[in-house]
Amino acid sequence: MNWLMDFRTQQLKQFNENGLPTRKNEWWKYTDIQKNAIPDNAGILKESLDVSEWSAVSDILIVFVNGHFSAKLSEMKAFPKEVIACTINDALKTKEDKIKSCLLRERNEKQFPFATLNSAMMTDGLFLEIPKNVKCITPIHLLFIHTDQTDFSTSPHHIILANPNSQLTVIEEHVAKNAQRYFTNTVTEIHAGENARIDYYKIQDDDLTATHVGNVFVEQHKDSCVKTFTFSKNSRLTREDVSVWQKQDGAETSLHGLYVLSHDQQHVDHHVHVDHLASFGTSSMLYKGILDKKSRGVFNGKVHVHPAIKQINAHQENHNLLLSNDAEMNSKPELEIYAEDVKCTHGATIGQLDDEALFYLLSRGIEKNEAHRMLVHAFSEEVYDKIEDETIRLYIQQRMNHYEE
Amino acid sequence: MLQIKNLHASIPDEKQKTKYKNILRGVNLQVNPGEVHAIMGPNGSGKSTLANVLAGHEDYQVTEGGAFLDNQNLLTMEPEVRATAGLFLAFQYPVEIPGVNNMYFIRSALNSIRKQRNLPLLDAMDFLTLVKAKMKEVDMDEKFLHRAVNEGFSGGEKKRNEVLQMLMLEPRLAILDETDSGLDVDALQAVAKGVNSLRDSQRSFIVVTHYQRLLNYIIPDVVHVMVHGQIIKSGGKELALEIEERGYAWLEKEAQG
Repeated sequence: MNWLMDFRTQQLKQFNENGLPTRKNEWWKYTDIQKNAIPDNAGILKESLDVSEWSAVSDILIVFVNGHFSAKLSEMKAFPKEVIACTINDALKTKEDKIKSCLLRERNEKQFPFATLNSAMMTDGLFLEIPKNVKCITPIHLLFIHTDQTDFSTSPHHIILANPNSQLTVIEEHVAKNAQRYFTNTVTEIHAGENARIDYYKIQDDDLTATHVGNVFVEQHKDSCVKTFTFSKNSRLTREDVSVWQKQDGAETSLHGLYVLSHDQQHVDHHVHVDHLASFGTSSMLYKGILDKKSRGVFNGKVHVHPAIKQINAHQENHNLLLSNDAEMNSKPELEIYAEDVKCTHGATIGQLDDEALFYLLSRGIEKNEAHRMLVHAFSEEVYDKIEDETIRLYIQQRMNHYEE
Repeated sequence: MLQIKNLHASIPDEKQKTKYKNILRGVNLQVNPGEVHAIMGPNGSGKSTLANVLAGHEDYQVTEGGAFLDNQNLLTMEPEVRATAGLFLAFQYPVEIPGVNNMYFIRSALNSIRKQRNLPLLDAMDFLTLVKAKMKEVDMDEKFLHRAVNEGFSGGEKKRNEVLQMLMLEPRLAILDETDSGLDVDALQAVAKGVNSLRDSQRSFIVVTHYQRLLNYIIPDVVHVMVHGQIIKSGGKELALEIEERGYAWLEKEAQG
């Protein structure tokens, strides 16, 4: 496939020309990616491990080890026959046209330098296509295990195509078992056709020495509904971008995030962007963060309503709880509105635990640690409450260590 | 049971945080087991400050004197330790805690106290049976168990929730800080019923109130009048009636004279 080789060479050249984003780049103002965070070595497939720890949330488990698909560790028996699924590498052979149109889509390289790098380095990933009118109820759980290796890079690339009136839930989870200083650079492309509904969850539970960069690109068509949830817990540095283009009327987007940083030097940056290119759309963002020790968080949420677009309802919220005096949060909500018939609200707060609430709990005999835990949990509850599926909600709460009773 | 000796306390000035404002100026009080004491007094006399100091609110600084519960020094204990020692404060303005389920909260509190007292912890079913029975006593709908602590509760519902917690935790000494303010007669009676059901020869109460009204339902053994951070007069339940009739000014004059 000459086009692919040409494209990847061109993308690599492009990335090398621009270099790593510096803090002069407005999309990377608060996040400094060091060159040594990106090792040259590729991941190696290892298949002698137990994945049962992660099998509770769905009957469908698709496992990637150090960036490579493992058929041996995956559990596909319950996979619905109507849904087309294969690795990106297989899809390049059999569904070249579809992949080509996704990969060759133009993007702002200054804004998404790591998507450019991903195109150049792409290791593997999942191609998922759900036909018209098919509703896939069982969530598809993608598990990325980083194991028994240090100083390596993986660049997974997923493409999710939901045809009109289809429905799909995907959980993408990144975990580590005895792996250090690895670099993950993911791209997930989601195309929601007319009246399609997609729920997408990302759980980032990497090793504390890892660097994780993720880009989720969402394209929405008429009356489609896309919900995303991004949970970030470990890793030394995480950068998650969710970028949505509402291309046709009546699209509905809700984006949620919860980041819990409890270690020194941890850094999590969320850049969330909704482009309203069509009318009668709604979008909402709810991102919450809990920062302890010397951790640092960044949130940048942007709603862009283009000229001549009508009847947009956009809502944006970022709330943060600082548990230590050394933690730092940079929150920047942005609205760019070029149309008139639009309702937009935004709010950002950075605060500490409510002393009066804490005293109330203590005055009832609840121990200090437990009272703290209850209030921190209460703060994150608002995000968990948005997860309609109870199995998924409990699974994620457990993964995030907030599970109770 | 409770002994307060020459207690002085102050709070940071609202405008200048480094300066302190004296609120309590030498409070003396002795509450024996089984007694109900009412503390009355005009606004700003220090009644709520006394209640909060006893519960261990960190905004208040004790500058002189002491307070002892069963001969243990209360003032050196953390708030949660005071609670397990048997102290309970029904707040004047119970705080709303979104995201914390009321049932989970009350059960955590009860089990925390039971753990300290070396009693077996209650499982969810036993707890539910118990709490439902207590809710009936204060005429509270069970739906409030499943909501967040005090969130969106009306004034009366918040106060009933305070009394419910008191019934569940069975304190040795309960302090009710203006639990009657803003209540209609039904809620007032429910609160009084809750208190009266707990009264026994070993348990004591301090009822802080502006008005005599609540004392028609909770009959006090002793009534104290607090003015300018001191208890200036103590008497029987008839003192409350006299205050209802004549106000506080005559007492202030009497104290000055």
